[in-house]
Amino acid sequence: MTPFVILAILAIIGALGVVVAKQPVHSALFLVGNILSLAVLYLLLSAEFLAVAQVIVYAGAIMVLFLFVVTLLTAGKEEGEPKEQLGGQRWLAGVLSLAVGIALAVLAIRRPGPRIVSGLPRNFGNLHGMGLILWGPDFLYLVGIAIMLLTAGLGVLVLNRPVRRKDARSQRRNEA
Amino acid sequence: MISTILLIVKILVLIGILMTGFAYTMLVERRFLGFFQLRLGPNRVGPGGLLQPLADGLKMALKEDLMPTGADPMIYRIAPVLSLFAALSVDAVIPFGAPIHLFGQTINLDIANPSIGLLIAFAFSSLGIYGIVLGGWASQNKYSLLGGIRASAQMISYELAMGLSVLGVLMMAGTANLERIVFAQQARGWFVIPQIVPFVIYFITAIAETNRTPFDLPEAESELVAGYHTEYSGIRFAMYIIAEYINMLTVSGLAVTLFLGGWLGPSFLPPILWFVIKVAILVFVFIWIRATFPRFRYDKLMSFGWKVLLPISFLYFLGTAAFVSGIL
Repeated sequence: MTPFVILAILAIIGALGVVVAKQPVHSALFLVGNILSLAVLYLLLSAEFLAVAQVIVYAGAIMVLFLFVVTLLTAGKEEGEPKEQLGGQRWLAGVLSLAVGIALAVLAIRRPGPRIVSGLPRNFGNLHGMGLILWGPDFLYLVGIAIMLLTAGLGVLVLNRPVRRKDARSQRRNEA
Repeated sequence: MISTILLIVKILVLIGILMTGFAYTMLVERRFLGFFQLRLGPNRVGPGGLLQPLADGLKMALKEDLMPTGADPMIYRIAPVLSLFAALSVDAVIPFGAPIHLFGQTINLDIANPSIGLLIAFAFSSLGIYGIVLGGWASQNKYSLLGGIRASAQMISYELAMGLSVLGVLMMAGTANLERIVFAQQARGWFVIPQIVPFVIYFITAIAETNRTPFDLPEAESELVAGYHTEYSGIRFAMYIIAEYINMLTVSGLAVTLFLGGWLGPSFLPPILWFVIKVAILVFVFIWIRATFPRFRYDKLMSFGWKVLLPISFLYFLGTAAFVSGIL
């Protein structure tokens, strides 16, 4: 129980830090802290593969891309944000998310899912178990996500394709 | 109780070995670079220059620790520590030799032997980017920033090809446990023979991941002064350098474990010596490449990673999958 409480507090500090921090880079780092504490929480459930995948994919790849963009955009900027223009929306969002969190917690306690009642399945979250799930019952979802990601990648390629020479010429003529 | 003591002793010994290894890898590199360039290299401190690392260490420790005025103090201080932490922690899962028997106890020559050791090594090494990117950003210097940004783009791109190149080994051994990968090679021969293409790709990407010549664009001195560590001095600069060299030892150790049979070898030498010899050969190749190749241009580096290394390792991965599953 103690490790869970410590990790949960760390994760919440990380999550709050993302919203509260003034510097975008600090926000990104708080998010990394949150991701890492979630990974250790997975380890507590002995879901070692989930934990490592969380670190490799989220902390090692996605957050580095975030940092890439954030460092590129905030370099040499003056500190401090422009004046608040959202007018109380932050408070509203905070209250609403707190309400949603409480509602979820109440639901989870009053109507626990079958997994919580019957305990974790065998091979939960380790390499073998994840493989069996992804290539067994959940194979269709895997293929769906793969197609979705492929579409996104192709979309980027299409949007960034180099201008064809003919188009470039006609464009120049129009400008002239 | 006794296992906890053993673990702490093992951790301390490993850190000691890595630090000494770093110091003398650096000396060997400087001497060899000297020979490659027809000069002597450092040979004045101690017999044959053997005490040079000690002198360098003292110099680094005694230098002033500077910080630029506009820097982000917290992140500026923590970035080199992150780099060093990531470099050291990867080594915890690498088995350095066959389990030995001492005082009636079986001692595994690694700190931890998790069932997914390979993935854990990759997870920790992927965290090493943060030290470089954050150090470059926190310095508030445009050269540092460019170095950090280059490092993040380069390491992300080459990590993909690196990950794909080791998947073949993972499938052939049928496990992600590094010790069992070595035992699988004992039964079926070193994986470098069926997996020669992934081995070459792994080695190229390993050079890129450790930011060494010809992939040292994050610290290209002709354009970026010294890249991400331009503003660093004293002990924090030393941390970056230590991390770079320990990373070099680590990726060589992983390559030996995955492709070159780990500690296996003819029995006239103890297993741990075979491991050290193989790592030393790979480290020498690192130095050799540094002395031979000029630096890449940035766009060539990116297109080489994405258009050459990634497709080849992916095709080889698919072929290995077809072969292992018995389709072919």
